[in-house]
Amino acid sequence: MAEQIETAETTRNRTAYWLIAPGAVWMALFLAVPILMIVYVSFWTQTTFKIEPILTIASWKQFFSSETYIGSLFTTVRLWLIVLAATFVLGYPTALFVGLFVKSKTLSTVLLVICVIPFWTSFLIRVLAWRPMLGKEGAINILLQKAGLISAPIEALLFSELSVVIGMTQIYVVFMVGPIAFMLSRIDRNIIEAARDLGASFWRIFFKIILPLSLPGVIVGAIFVSVMVLGEFATTAALSGRKVNLLGNIIVTQVGSLKWALASVVGVILTIIMGLVIAGFLRVVDLKKEL
Amino acid sequence: MAETISNISLSGVTKRYGDVTALDGVSLVLEGNEYVSLLGPSGSGKTSLLRAIAGFEAPDAGKVTVFGRDVTHLAPHKRGIGFVFQNFALFPHLSVYDNVAFGLANADSPPPADEIRRRVTDMVRLVGLTGLEERGVGQISGGQRQRVALARTLVTEPRLILLDEPLGALDANLRMRMRDELRHIRERLGVTFLHVTGSETEALAMGDRVVVLDRGRVAQFAAPDVILNSPANPNVARFLNRYNVLSGALRGEAFASAYGDLPYGKRVESGDAAYGIRYDRIAVVEETAPASGVGIPVTFVTSEYLGSAVMYFFEAADGHILEVEHHLGKGRMPEFRPRGKYRLQWKPEDAIVFG
Amino acid sequence: MESRVLKPVLAVYVGLFILFLYGPFIVLTILSFQQGPEGGPQFPIIEWSTYWYRHIFGLTPPSRVAPLPFGESLIRSLTLAFMTMVTSTVLGVMSAQAFRSKFKGSGFVFYLIVLGMMVPGVLTGLGTALVANTMGIERHWWSTAFVTHVVYTFPFAFLVMLAILNRFDASVEEASWSLGVPPMRTFRKVTFPLIFPGVLSAMLFAFTLSYDEFSRTLFASGRDQTLPLAIYGTFAVEIHPNVFAFGVLTTLFSFSLLTVYAVLMTMSVRRAGRAAIQEDIA
Repeated sequence: MAEQIETAETTRNRTAYWLIAPGAVWMALFLAVPILMIVYVSFWTQTTFKIEPILTIASWKQFFSSETYIGSLFTTVRLWLIVLAATFVLGYPTALFVGLFVKSKTLSTVLLVICVIPFWTSFLIRVLAWRPMLGKEGAINILLQKAGLISAPIEALLFSELSVVIGMTQIYVVFMVGPIAFMLSRIDRNIIEAARDLGASFWRIFFKIILPLSLPGVIVGAIFVSVMVLGEFATTAALSGRKVNLLGNIIVTQVGSLKWALASVVGVILTIIMGLVIAGFLRVVDLKKEL
Repeated sequence: MAETISNISLSGVTKRYGDVTALDGVSLVLEGNEYVSLLGPSGSGKTSLLRAIAGFEAPDAGKVTVFGRDVTHLAPHKRGIGFVFQNFALFPHLSVYDNVAFGLANADSPPPADEIRRRVTDMVRLVGLTGLEERGVGQISGGQRQRVALARTLVTEPRLILLDEPLGALDANLRMRMRDELRHIRERLGVTFLHVTGSETEALAMGDRVVVLDRGRVAQFAAPDVILNSPANPNVARFLNRYNVLSGALRGEAFASAYGDLPYGKRVESGDAAYGIRYDRIAVVEETAPASGVGIPVTFVTSEYLGSAVMYFFEAADGHILEVEHHLGKGRMPEFRPRGKYRLQWKPEDAIVFG
Repeated sequence: MESRVLKPVLAVYVGLFILFLYGPFIVLTILSFQQGPEGGPQFPIIEWSTYWYRHIFGLTPPSRVAPLPFGESLIRSLTLAFMTMVTSTVLGVMSAQAFRSKFKGSGFVFYLIVLGMMVPGVLTGLGTALVANTMGIERHWWSTAFVTHVVYTFPFAFLVMLAILNRFDASVEEASWSLGVPPMRTFRKVTFPLIFPGVLSAMLFAFTLSYDEFSRTLFASGRDQTLPLAIYGTFAVEIHPNVFAFGVLTTLFSFSLLTVYAVLMTMSVRRAGRAAIQEDIA
């Protein structure tokens, strides 16, 4: 009888294993191995143009003794926090409108689609589009001057940390709007009606009901935005004029000059930061339970 | 139990889901060309049993033999057993015709195209769907979908068809009509139907024989009138929804209940002690009327008009509700005073005692 | 009631928000019609012209502005996106199908797959380059870059298919088996047609994500550039409106992809629409 139990179970499991094997092997070979490789290579010995598998912590020392690298670590964390806050502040009201205030399901879908469409277009072109917008002779400066609000163009708009924040916020805000709007649309409106009938003010309802119920959406959005901002280098490359260097930019430059070991050190640090951030967010909300 | 090439035999079929035992050593023999109803409360293992026979789930122990072939570990598509689902599970992307033709056209060795066309057309006519062949299955009514589900299965000519609450998704009117139709179709084709239902009326009306399943075990397997007149145990009596089942203990010639010692006519061997009296074998008399037979003082609660009969609900001194059925064929319906005091009376020979 | 005030205010805000999303692109589109070759990538528009569009296709006389090196890279990107789309959709459908039965280690494999979309491109790109270097494998867009693209897009396809299969009513498959149709043919004739809308979405995700991917490609591809890398290359040098014109064209291409997707989706949903009523009673 015990044999029979095994046959029944193993047949079903065997099919599942055959189906999952290609995907799992692919991810193991081309995702897990490369990541582990980064950790390994970060301890290799780097000479001018090549690396050798002789273990050392020289590259780690180099990273932590350089003001430039430490600086870029702080820049990364600062920019991440700013963009995270900006996407939340700018995205939440939109999500609130789309997910809760719009009664027609069609309109809500249309608005959401409008927000999502840019995601399907070229990322680099979207970043690039900020240049004619923010430049010294850019659209914003021209508009502000025409309106008489400023007399000379604001130069700090482009090739500064501000332009990077603006660019990233525009690109990543949709990842905040989507999940929040989704959670808001699932709120039972009767609860809100009931609270209103009991005389609760909008703000009270907002802080007692709407915000807590949308929190899982905020967390999912925050994880998306964090993961993408922390791994960024293109927006800074295009909009900061090399003034802002994130950890991602350091990796790109180091690889460019074949300093693989140092690039790997930065990669490991980036991985650790991201792990901490995601773990932190997941502690706030148990997503498996909420979704 | 004998396995022959003309019957379907289950022996010791057991299925566990984690700690829950859905089927606990079920043994049954169904004859070829027979309509068997499978009755049981929800959670009794009805659907698990059907799925084990169909091969959707392998039993943990036991053996399933269909017309002499051991199919216990055979893949479902090799068993030649039809299955009709409660939600019909029609192929939503196919037309009525293509649904019916699906099994033939996609068989391992499909019959020639013109034979498929002939058989499908015949089957569509048999179930009365002629003219709807090109409709999508979403564009037809619930009863028509039920017929498509049936036709799709019948056309592949299985000798055993399992029906999982096939009438559950239909409204009451349609359900009555489909009952007759199912019986007729089965008789014409001479296949075996194993029909799972949670409705005792349906089970008794449709089955040549009825299996009563209780907590994963076969509680009784007999003809409908046998089950109705002598349920095998108090639980069966309860599912039948035809018996007032009183608790107590068997003491020699009488049954000691909360209402005193009750005499009885028939005794059924059973682990659990109980006293059963059918709803329609009870007379209602004024509390003050002279006593005859067995009697319990009660208070009238309410009544429910069922069309051909009326159900009366009475409350005994301990709060237990007793039901009395009055067939309107026996005369016009009596009226009782709300909260009025009455006595329920019956002949001892009409009562069954379990114990 | 405050919400009576709040709703219009929010509506106006959402309008501004959409302007924020689309504004830069509108400006870019306007500037792409700048006069050429003297006109620069800024206002004012000296004269409306299609010069820069013609410039992309090499229809203008040679000037100091070099033509964009986009021709071959476009072909590469399209080929790569197609390869990635097919591979990750197949893997996605297979894996999601596997997840329908709770096999041992499914939790671990789930996280391994989802990790692919979470890990930033710089890291997978760097790691792949390191592995290739160590093993002495030459990096190409069709080899190393391709596998990292799939690492990135396969999780999307997987999640889309998982969502579809979670809602899938397995009884139609059981019905097919009970009619004597073997599992593989059941998958082809029943399961696949019913999950097709999901497959379409998975394909769209995989194609567009790969077509636009550059952070992984930057390290993992060799000498031959893909389109995003070619665009990324222009960031470093002086920008001319020809890049804007190209941006408009590539965006139009993305929109036409979305349109094709929407049309196919509407068609398959309409076909499945007949099923909707059936689901209602179930």
